[in-house]
Amino acid sequence: MNEEKLDEKAQGARMRSNIYGFLSSMFREEITAEHLQQIKSPVIKEVLSEMGVQYDIFSQKDQDQLLEDLAVEYARLFLGPDKHISPHESIHHKRDDGDWGMHWGGSTVDVKKFIETAGLEYKQEYSGMPDHISVELEFMKEAASREAQAIEEKDWEGALYCQKMEKKFICDHLIKWIPAFCDKIISQSKISFYGDLAEVTKKFITLEYKEINNCTSEAERQVH
Amino acid sequence: MSVKITRRNFVKLGIATSALMASGKLSESDALAGSVKLEYGGKDFSPATGVERKAIPTACWSCVTRCAAMGFVEDGRHVKMESNPKSIRTEGKMCSKGQSAPNEVYFPDRILYPMKRVGARGEGKWKRISWDEAINEIVSKIKPMRDAGHPEKLMYHYGRMKASSSKLIGGFFKSAYGTKTVGNHTSICEGGKWTAHELVWGGHFDNWDFDNTGFVMNFGSNCLETHTNHIPVAHRLIRAKVDRGVRIVTFDVRLSNTAAKSDEWIPIKPGGDCAVLMAMCNVVLNKGLYKGKGEAFMKFVKATKNHDASVADKIAALKKNFASNTPAWAEKESDVPAATIERLAVEFASAKPAACLVTYRGAVAHYNGNDAERAAFTLCALTGHLDDQGSRTKAVGGGVKYPKVPKTSKYPKPKGMKINDGHPKKGHPGYAAYPSHHMSHWVFKMMKETGETPDVYWWAYYNPVYVNGEFAENEEIMKTIPYLLSSNIVYDESSKLADLIIPDATYLERWDWEDMVDPNNIGEQYIRQPMVKPLGEARNQADVIIEVAERMGIPLGVSSMEEFVQKSYDMDPAVSAAGGFEMMKREGVWHNPKQKPIFKRYMNKVADAAIKADGVVYDKETGVYWNAKKAHAKEGANYTDTKNSYKYYVGQKIGNEVYEGFKPDKLNKSGYFELYSLLLERKGENPLPTYTKAPEHKAMGPDDLILTTYKVAVHIHSRSTHRKWLSELYHDNPGWINTKTAAARGISDGDKIRVTSPIGSIVTKAKVTEKIIPGVIAISYHMGRSESGRYGSGNKSPGGHDNDPDLKNKWWSEYGVHPNHIIANAPDPLNGQQRWMDTVVTVTKA
Repeated sequence: MNEEKLDEKAQGARMRSNIYGFLSSMFREEITAEHLQQIKSPVIKEVLSEMGVQYDIFSQKDQDQLLEDLAVEYARLFLGPDKHISPHESIHHKRDDGDWGMHWGGSTVDVKKFIETAGLEYKQEYSGMPDHISVELEFMKEAASREAQAIEEKDWEGALYCQKMEKKFICDHLIKWIPAFCDKIISQSKISFYGDLAEVTKKFITLEYKEINNCTSEAERQVH
Repeated sequence: MSVKITRRNFVKLGIATSALMASGKLSESDALAGSVKLEYGGKDFSPATGVERKAIPTACWSCVTRCAAMGFVEDGRHVKMESNPKSIRTEGKMCSKGQSAPNEVYFPDRILYPMKRVGARGEGKWKRISWDEAINEIVSKIKPMRDAGHPEKLMYHYGRMKASSSKLIGGFFKSAYGTKTVGNHTSICEGGKWTAHELVWGGHFDNWDFDNTGFVMNFGSNCLETHTNHIPVAHRLIRAKVDRGVRIVTFDVRLSNTAAKSDEWIPIKPGGDCAVLMAMCNVVLNKGLYKGKGEAFMKFVKATKNHDASVADKIAALKKNFASNTPAWAEKESDVPAATIERLAVEFASAKPAACLVTYRGAVAHYNGNDAERAAFTLCALTGHLDDQGSRTKAVGGGVKYPKVPKTSKYPKPKGMKINDGHPKKGHPGYAAYPSHHMSHWVFKMMKETGETPDVYWWAYYNPVYVNGEFAENEEIMKTIPYLLSSNIVYDESSKLADLIIPDATYLERWDWEDMVDPNNIGEQYIRQPMVKPLGEARNQADVIIEVAERMGIPLGVSSMEEFVQKSYDMDPAVSAAGGFEMMKREGVWHNPKQKPIFKRYMNKVADAAIKADGVVYDKETGVYWNAKKAHAKEGANYTDTKNSYKYYVGQKIGNEVYEGFKPDKLNKSGYFELYSLLLERKGENPLPTYTKAPEHKAMGPDDLILTTYKVAVHIHSRSTHRKWLSELYHDNPGWINTKTAAARGISDGDKIRVTSPIGSIVTKAKVTEKIIPGVIAISYHMGRSESGRYGSGNKSPGGHDNDPDLKNKWWSEYGVHPNHIIANAPDPLNGQQRWMDTVVTVTKA
């Protein structure tokens, strides 16, 4: 493969990693002032607007009030204490063994094992649960980033290894619950930002699922 | 919602967020630390100390697949076995049998010292002797026979001997010592399938390109649980299904785990496979589905007596042959609905880009097994799904070079007793037309019938009493042989009769080169090297044979198997250039990175020089060019009837060209893909595939059932019950019987039942289930051991120790039954395959 093509493949994995990282940070916690500044940056605004994400709310003059509104919406949707949509796989992933619908269920254990087996560790300061949506998306950020590195190094076995790992994680976890989870947010969000974010997330994960199942990658061709 | 998402949008989002990611601002609240580590396997750590264990690339030997493996050693003890992640055959996968390797070394009933019988045969009284005494005794038994001009009176009988062991040990017996009385066990495995291959497309062994196939149709192969190339095949098949949604259809008497994982399980009567396959040929021919790929392939097919027939003539001949084999006819023979046969024949023929047809013992271990396989080949040929991407292909092995054992035999050719190939007279129950893989199950009967036994019967990796039909008779005849010598790791039903047992090294304590076929059709070489030194005084049989040869004054040219392996790798220029023996020890596996998958070798044209070489002549009857001079053929002799002429085959004339064709192996077939077999015709058989019902099935009464057998995923046929991890998983084998069949006999689930055949009866339990068709009882192999140590039989072996702490944790005390007590030895009359699936029995409540 020529250098240009190689670069393109690596760039593709990098871009996927970036999107996973961006989405992960949006779900991790309430939007901070720093996040807000980034979301409102012209380059992000342009592409999100093009996607149809409504930016009206961001033109709210009082930034503190905007952050307060977003924080209240985040808590209402994801934290409770009233009825909310728990952003954890073990609540939504309807497993054949019936072990779902509660926190720290079978999926939590599976995700934790998967991530740790891949060589990553949960930071001590992270106090959330292992199968929070933001963690799963962050894992994919790391995996796609490692894939990009392997391609750059022409380590085709390594790239294929990453792709297989990503595929397994998407098929066994992300696709099993995130689209349904996002549908719930879309139907219950009161501030368009979280509804739009959910729709972007759902469509991205669905697209990932389709593409990762259809493509024969360059790494696969090189290895076999 | 108003959100509009396209791939392009996402690309833009990926670019737009790159600056954010690079700034690190979005990562400040990350939950995860570290980075993804690319560990492909091949490493292991002590759970107690965290210290990395010593990893040694090696090869499994549990089943004949012989996967490249990675063994781990901690404090000098072999503790764990995994696959070698660098193997292109296994791609880092290993089955439960392979993973139980440490049990093989350390089971408490292992034979660790040479043991000489001191009581009556089978009494169990033994005396430990030294290796020096043991080897002296062996030499004292076998040297005088050779000196007296009767090396053939030494019979060596093995259950598995492959790769380097085959070359060195086989070389000793045939080239150095001079006996051809060397038996194998292939006829109780799948020898009949291989003979059918040799009749149709030459060298045996098929492979399936599941990675590129569009459809898989499987007749009687439990390939997801057990197979001659198990893990390389099984994981590719399941990958095709899971990753690409490839449809799998399995014909089986029983809902095996392979059938259960298939898209369709087609229940079929035992022996009905041949009828269904022939009916599918009928459908393809009558619907014109051969047009296209199949018709193009016909150029290389022989379907008429005339080797030069046109494609139209060939199609016409096949139409005529299969005319009466309609789906409606096959339904009567197989219980498979005619509409299903037709539907699946069409699906198979129409599959894109190609389809795989799998067969195994469920289809071939029958009276009509040879022609079930030939009918399967016909279907592949008619549809063109053959020896190409996505289809059934000719297998490709590693192809290791090796030093030949010096020919020190005093005789121009090794001498052999005529007991290996069944009875020579047509019509005799022990007769087969072409037993090209011998008839090991008929060896003892030939001894009994002719009154001639070898003076010394030496066996290895084999348990002749247990693994053949007619257990009791085998035991009785073996006892009449003057001297019995067993090379073994375990005290079993046969070694208990021996005069001398020599303790073999396990496969985890010895050297070998290996070359089992590669599903990529590329070919892989791999090494077996010891994890640990042999336990006790165990020694690799090959090393013992080297010493025996030296003491007899017929040295084999190497001082150890290790040296033989080293010399082999170093004499292959490609392997040698890649680092030779040292590289193989380090990496465990090697394949030529430039080698592309090999398909369609039959289309290679033969160079003019080869055709014009000295001694090469043209055979008018077959269109074969062969070297009659090298074959020492009499003047004017024809190719087909000249002994071993296949060894001197040069090419096949087709039209005006000479092709490599389907090169013959073991039998004098032509270079065509022979559906019309001159060889079978010569023996008075129908040259084209024919359905014949087993005689005992024709005579079945209303209460009779057919007994079928099978293997399970966690055991090796007769070589694994001493492994505690496997026996804990599976140690009992109730007979599977259909709900209706059981009800008609007043049998409930768990009831004791008596299964009676014409040669005896056994008592087992009933597993009443819908997972088997009515009219059949299925009993697995592996079980019913009277010896094999405490984990497998409950009996402590002579010399067994009590130091395994798991002996106290063993919770099972049932060991199942062995169906071979009631299965008669009976060959397929065309190829000699033992007919495991044809036995007629009655089943009653016991």
